[in-house]
Amino acid sequence: MDYQSMLAWAAPIAVSFAAIGSAFGIGRAVGSAMEAMGRQPEAAAKIQTAMIIGAAFIEALTIYLFIVFIMVNGKIGA
Amino acid sequence: MLAGLYNATVLAFAKINPFVVFAAGGGDHGDGGHGGAPHLPNLINVLHELGILSDSAAAWATYWANPLYAGVAAIILSLIALNIYAKRDLKNPGPFQNAAEALIEGMYNFIYSIMGKEARRYIPFLGTLFFYILVMNWMGLVPGLHSPTTGKEITLSMAAIVFLYAQWTGIRRLGVLGYLDHLAGQPRDAVTWALVPLMFLLHLVGELVKPVSLGLRLFGNITGEDTLVAVFVGLGITLMALFGSPVGLPLHAPFILLGLLLSTIQALVFTLLSTIYILMMLPHEEHEH
Repeated sequence: MDYQSMLAWAAPIAVSFAAIGSAFGIGRAVGSAMEAMGRQPEAAAKIQTAMIIGAAFIEALTIYLFIVFIMVNGKIGA
Repeated sequence: MLAGLYNATVLAFAKINPFVVFAAGGGDHGDGGHGGAPHLPNLINVLHELGILSDSAAAWATYWANPLYAGVAAIILSLIALNIYAKRDLKNPGPFQNAAEALIEGMYNFIYSIMGKEARRYIPFLGTLFFYILVMNWMGLVPGLHSPTTGKEITLSMAAIVFLYAQWTGIRRLGVLGYLDHLAGQPRDAVTWALVPLMFLLHLVGELVKPVSLGLRLFGNITGEDTLVAVFVGLGITLMALFGSPVGLPLHAPFILLGLLLSTIQALVFTLLSTIYILMMLPHEEHEH
């Protein structure tokens, strides 16, 4: 297997793993946010803001791997 | 000339020639670390097709596209702000002044909820950062414009400014000795003094990684959004091109809405993180690192 095939395997697998991990993380975060909103509906706006910000952080890790994907993609193809 | 005008109209309303999309994205600079991700053509390409810009001028403008559009965003924001300020009337505010006051007050309340009393001093910098990044992100969703935050140079330079400003704030408020003390983890007794080399290294690396993550988060998110919209535009056009129609289906419409939301969130996250980095450098009592 030459290095181009390996790069072509590695790049999508990287993004997939990141997507799986961040799906779990964001699912947990949003789940606990919804639970907290159910317990105390008057604090819903604050909890929603914090949830959005937390989701942006977790998503950033997937975005880093997206950048890696773009860089690896550029190196495939002679 | 007329053919150029027709081409330009076809391009300008996102009813674009898919070959232009994918050629502009993945043609000659496919090995520039870009990966050749598809992107939509912008005003520079339109003017080039119309013949107003020569080949070398269009190449120059495409090379410097991100700083050019960032400059356009900065100039437009400054002109709007200056205009509202010049026509301000404290007793009888007009609609634009009201809108500006509402936005600034909202921003101030948000930063006050994080920083407390110090917010007053840093709100110009952080508020400008938020609105500048917001306008730059939204420019990518307007047909014919291009979002400058899709360039690593723009986002990383903004993150570097925030990093340098936070360090400078630390040095100025804590003094050089206090700043080094902060970086060394505030050694007070024998154990913490022994850990100083480790804590120093940890804090140094932690501080250095912050601007990189800040810049790359914004860059990656906005590039991803742009690429998503471009892929769906191409899809909509190739779908209708099967029937020989020059007009494409606007399949990218929901992704424009998603892009609006995500652009706002990314600008907010950048500003919030900058606020927190500056806050961490200010003297505060509870120091549980």
